[in-house]
Amino acid sequence: MTEKFDAIIVGLGSAGGILAEQLTKAGARVLGLDKGADYSEDDFAVKQDELRYYQRGAIVSGVSVDPVTWRPDENTTARILPWSAGALGSDEPLYGMPSIGIGGGTLHWGCAAYRFREADFRMRSAIADRFGEAALPEGSTVADWPISYADLEPYYEKVEWEQGYSGRAGNIKGEFAPGTNPFEPPRNRDYPMPPVPQGPGDIPWVAATERLGMHPFRQPLALNSTEYRGRSACLNCGFCHGYPCHVGAKSTTHVTSVPAAKLTGNLDLRTHSRVLRVNRTADGKRVIGVTYVDNADVVHEVEAPIVILTAYALENVRLMLVSGIDGNGQVGANFMTHNFGWFASILPEPTNPFLGTFNASSAVDDFTSELVPDNDLGVLWGSPVISVTGDLQPIEAYHLMNPGVRKFGLEFKHWMRDNYTHMHRMYSQTTNFPYRKHYVDLDPVIKDRWGVPAIRITHEWDDHDAHSVELFGGIKRRIAAEMGAKETWMDSPRPPYHLSTHDVGVHRMGYDPQTSVTDPFGAVHGIDGLYAVGGGSFVSYGGYNPNQTIQALAYLSADRLIERFGGTAA
Amino acid sequence: MSEEVPTEALLYFNSAEARTIDAFAAQIIPSEEGSPGAHEAGVVYYIDRALAGFMRDLQSLYRRGLHVLDDLSSDAFGAGFSALEPHQQRQLVEALDARAAAEPDDFAGQFYRIVREHTVQGFFGDPAYGGNRDVVGWKLVGFPGAQWGYTAEQMKPGVDARSIPILTVGDLYARIGEGRS
Repeated sequence: MTEKFDAIIVGLGSAGGILAEQLTKAGARVLGLDKGADYSEDDFAVKQDELRYYQRGAIVSGVSVDPVTWRPDENTTARILPWSAGALGSDEPLYGMPSIGIGGGTLHWGCAAYRFREADFRMRSAIADRFGEAALPEGSTVADWPISYADLEPYYEKVEWEQGYSGRAGNIKGEFAPGTNPFEPPRNRDYPMPPVPQGPGDIPWVAATERLGMHPFRQPLALNSTEYRGRSACLNCGFCHGYPCHVGAKSTTHVTSVPAAKLTGNLDLRTHSRVLRVNRTADGKRVIGVTYVDNADVVHEVEAPIVILTAYALENVRLMLVSGIDGNGQVGANFMTHNFGWFASILPEPTNPFLGTFNASSAVDDFTSELVPDNDLGVLWGSPVISVTGDLQPIEAYHLMNPGVRKFGLEFKHWMRDNYTHMHRMYSQTTNFPYRKHYVDLDPVIKDRWGVPAIRITHEWDDHDAHSVELFGGIKRRIAAEMGAKETWMDSPRPPYHLSTHDVGVHRMGYDPQTSVTDPFGAVHGIDGLYAVGGGSFVSYGGYNPNQTIQALAYLSADRLIERFGGTAA
Repeated sequence: MSEEVPTEALLYFNSAEARTIDAFAAQIIPSEEGSPGAHEAGVVYYIDRALAGFMRDLQSLYRRGLHVLDDLSSDAFGAGFSALEPHQQRQLVEALDARAAAEPDDFAGQFYRIVREHTVQGFFGDPAYGGNRDVVGWKLVGFPGAQWGYTAEQMKPGVDARSIPILTVGDLYARIGEGRS
C-alpha cells in the first residue's frame, strides 16, 4: 500500500527545515525527504580541515553527483561548470551548488543575515521614479514584488528570534541608536543577541569608512554571540564559511528547526532519499505525491495532498521541469545570481585573517539599493560594501592572492610569508537584473547517475553587472587607500563563475500565471497542493545576502499552509 | 637540500616519478637556509597519496604530464627534469608559467598549474594528508592551524600570530580523546 502523509517536504535545508518544524508543530504528519545525510555532532567534532571541506567540498554534492552545466548564451553548447569541474576544479563551496543534507545550505553558509530594504521590494518603480522608465535595462523583466517589506517584517523578526541571529539594530520603530546603521529599515525589536567578537582586521576598516563620512555598522549574523536556546556561543575558530560548525553555534536548521520537528513525533525523516519527480492527477491540476529513490537504489512512491519543494531554487526548477511542470514557460526563467567584486588589500598592521568567522566584521549601507550614488556608469541599484576579516586559511589565501605576483619560486613563497597575516577583503553584491535570456532548464545531453537531466544555466554578466563592480570597486579603492593599504587588487568585473550559492528568481512569485510561477505563499499556479519555496520566488535581486528573506518566506508559507490544515501556528 | 626521495612508501608514483615531482614542487616553493620548502614539507608524499585515493581520476593525467615534462627537459638540456641543475629546473618552470598564462589550453601549461595547485595543497594542508610536515607551511605564513577556537584576547589587534601554538587535526582528536577540548 502506498504510504500517505499530510505533507511531503523535498529538501530539509534553510526553508524546508522551517516548514517541517512549523507544520509538525501544528499537528501535520510530514514526510521529509533529503538527498543528503543527517549529520551527527560527531561528524563535525573536528572540522578544522581546509582540504576536506573547502578544497574538496566534503559537504557539497559536487558536479560529479549533481551535474550543473552553464553556457553564456543559446548559441553555445553548455559545459559542466567550467570554473568548478575538470582537473584543476575544486568544489570550493562558494561557486557551486550549496551543501546538502539536513540543514542544506545553512550547513556551510557564512551566516550573513540581512533583511532586504523597503525599496528592494519595489525596485522597478524606484528605478523608474529616480532615473525614468527609459533607464530600465532593455529587455529586463525586473518588476515590483507582490509583497512589501511591511508584509515580511514580522517574519524577519521571527527568523531572528527562532533561528538565533546576532547583531545590533539601527532602527527600532523609527528610533535610531547612535553608532548603528542609520539606513536600516524600521524594525519592531532588536536582535536576540549582540554582535559576535570583531576580527582585528575590521578595526582599521571601520576607522577608514568613518573618516570618509560613511556609516559602518556591525554585520548581523545568524551566529550565536552568546549561548542561545541551549546552543553554544561561537568560539571564533575561523573555519566557518564553507564549513559545518563543531559546537552548534552557527544557525542552521540542522540544529534549530529540524530537531524541533523531530521532537513532535510528526516528522518521518528519510535521508539519502532523492526525489525523482512530482506526481499529479491525470489532468495535472492536483498534486498526488512524489517518487524518490533511496541509497539502495529502491524506488518509492509516496502520497500527500501537499508537496513542498524546498530543494534549492535550481533543484526546485529541475524537479518541476522533469515532472512536466513548466508554468507557461515561467519555470526556470529570470535566473539571477550575485557577482561579488572581490577586493583584497594588504594592510600595514596584522589582520590575522584566520580569526573568527568570515563576517565577524562591518559593512556600510551608504550606497545600498536606492542609495546608489549618482554615477556616469549607468548603475541603477547599489549594494552594501562589506568588510571580510576572518575565516581565511592559507590555500584559499593563495587562490585569492595578488594576480600581479608570480605564483612560483621565492617571490611566491615570500609573498605568502609576508602578507598572509595582513590580508583584508571586501565584497559587494551586484544587482543582477532578471531577463528572459537568463534562465535554467534541463540539459539536453548531460544526466546524473539516476538518469535525471542536469540543470543547465544560460547566463552572462551584462554591462550593468560589470559597471556595478567597477563603481563599487572605486568605493573599495577609496576605503583601502584610507586604510593605508600597501597593495590592492580586484576580481574581474565579469568573473568566470555564474553560480554563487546565491542563485534566485527562477520560480518567481506573483499573481499572474503568465509572468510568475507561484503566489507569494509559494503555491504553484494551477496545481493544487504544490508549493515551491525559497530564493526561487524572488522577483528582483539587490545587494543583500538572500537567506534571511528565504527563511522569512518559509515562515510566511508555513502560516498559509497551517491555515489550510486548520491548525494553529507554533 | 636533504636526502633524495623516496625515503618512504609510495602508493602511486614510481621512484623516478617521485623524484621528478619532488624537484618540480621544490621549484614552486623552494627551500632556503632556515626556511623549509615543498621538499621538506613532503609535498611529493601528499600528491602520491592523493593520487592513490581522492584524486585517482588524475593518475593518467600525471603520467602523461611527467612524460611531457621530461621531453621538454631533454629537448632543452639533454636530461630528465630531476637530473637537471636547479637553475635549469627554474628556467623550465618559468617557461611553463609563461606558457600557462599565454595558452590556457596547452597541456604542458595545464599540467604545471595542476602540480602547482597540488603543491600548495600539500604545503598548506593538514599534515594528516602526508604533506606540511612539521607544519612548515603554517609556520612560514603564521597560520595557527586547526584551533578549537580563539579567545577574545587573541581576537584583539596586535596579536603576533606566530605566538599561538600551532595545532593539527590530529591534535584536536587527541584532545577530544582526553576529554579536554
